[in-house]
Amino acid sequence: MERIVDIAIDGQHLSAYRGFLIVSKDKAEIGRIPLDDVAAVIVHAHGTTWSTNLVVALAQRGAVMVLCGSNHAPVAVCTPLEGHHGQNARMRAQWEASKPLTKQLWRDVVVAKINWQAAVLEAQGIPTDAFDMLSRRVRSGDPENVEAQAARRYWPLLMGEDFRRNREAGGVNGLLNYGYTVLRSLLARSVVAAGLHPSIGIHHANRGNAFALADDLIEPFRPLVDVIAVQLAARGCVEVTPEAKRAFAGLIAVDLPGENGTTTVSVAAGRLAQSLSRCFETGKTLDLVLPRPPSAIELAGLGSLIA
Amino acid sequence: MTVTQLNGYRLMWIFVMFDLPVTTPAQSKAATKFREFLLDQGFEKSQFSVYARFCNGKEQFETYMRRIENSLPDRGDVHILTFTDKQYENIVRFSGQRRKRQKKNPDQLALF
Repeated sequence: MERIVDIAIDGQHLSAYRGFLIVSKDKAEIGRIPLDDVAAVIVHAHGTTWSTNLVVALAQRGAVMVLCGSNHAPVAVCTPLEGHHGQNARMRAQWEASKPLTKQLWRDVVVAKINWQAAVLEAQGIPTDAFDMLSRRVRSGDPENVEAQAARRYWPLLMGEDFRRNREAGGVNGLLNYGYTVLRSLLARSVVAAGLHPSIGIHHANRGNAFALADDLIEPFRPLVDVIAVQLAARGCVEVTPEAKRAFAGLIAVDLPGENGTTTVSVAAGRLAQSLSRCFETGKTLDLVLPRPPSAIELAGLGSLIA
Repeated sequence: MTVTQLNGYRLMWIFVMFDLPVTTPAQSKAATKFREFLLDQGFEKSQFSVYARFCNGKEQFETYMRRIENSLPDRGDVHILTFTDKQYENIVRFSGQRRKRQKKNPDQLALF
């Protein structure tokens, strides 16, 4: 089972002992987790200390360590330098990918994202004709920025007219930041494991962003976080509480419908990154394996993640 | 989409129980090596010579079993048991004369 380790309380020390990540406070062990099971370590508490030994052990297993600001958005990510045996060839293919190819890949990602947004709205009983139309209008490289047009419609429909998506804000925005951080760490891990370089994106290229590729690939998955945030907010939870964190961490194990049967979100993320590296190598967009949007019933089932 | 991360029928526990000879220094060294190997693989000590690990399902079990098979000491007995998370929940634990609380299953989120 892949697990998310979240460090939220100050004054703890993280270290590695044999096959375990050890969390200790005042030199006494308070928890241990098998290193092989760790998908990501997310650190919020600014007084946390850790051993280099642990960071090395995490990197060797392809687990990522994410450091967050007080708004729960990631500030820094530690990923392995080497994640795949064919890394050199793949990064070369990634770097040399033609402009038309990356533009087409980005179109496919945007279409998938809009379809996911439509699926989420539909599950809330909101008509989504406009989204079907928008997703058909996306052209290679999305020159008309249909992605933003969809977002402008999506947020008010999902969260109400007053809502503004703002990375710096708290409340529901903090919930979203946290949820995206969990997904982002998962995508960063998949990208590195597929032998790709996280800072060479297919669209998020010129934004001084070291995790551009993870930010590209996270797009279709984002609505999963949105659903949980809406359901939490409906229950009056607008703070990043342990319950909220638990719900978001559970997302990585949620089953999604896929080409070859049902797989978890974390497997779907891995397949997406693997298929992307194949696209770079073959120069064709055909085999990009994007996650399929779940049905309304399946999305409603996400509610069970909230205790 | 059934939310499966806590499906007690898919999730399993692996228990490794061993009886290794420790009469010569070489034998104790081999026994220690095996014990440390289990720790490296994320098996937690349940009691002396009994180590347990949570796993995702059959495929992951096969992986661990193969690894254990490849790291067996020359002599001694090793038994590997698996049971489902549902069965694990029903374990009764005594410590001294007192009944101990059941161990909590691992959660997708480890919050500290």
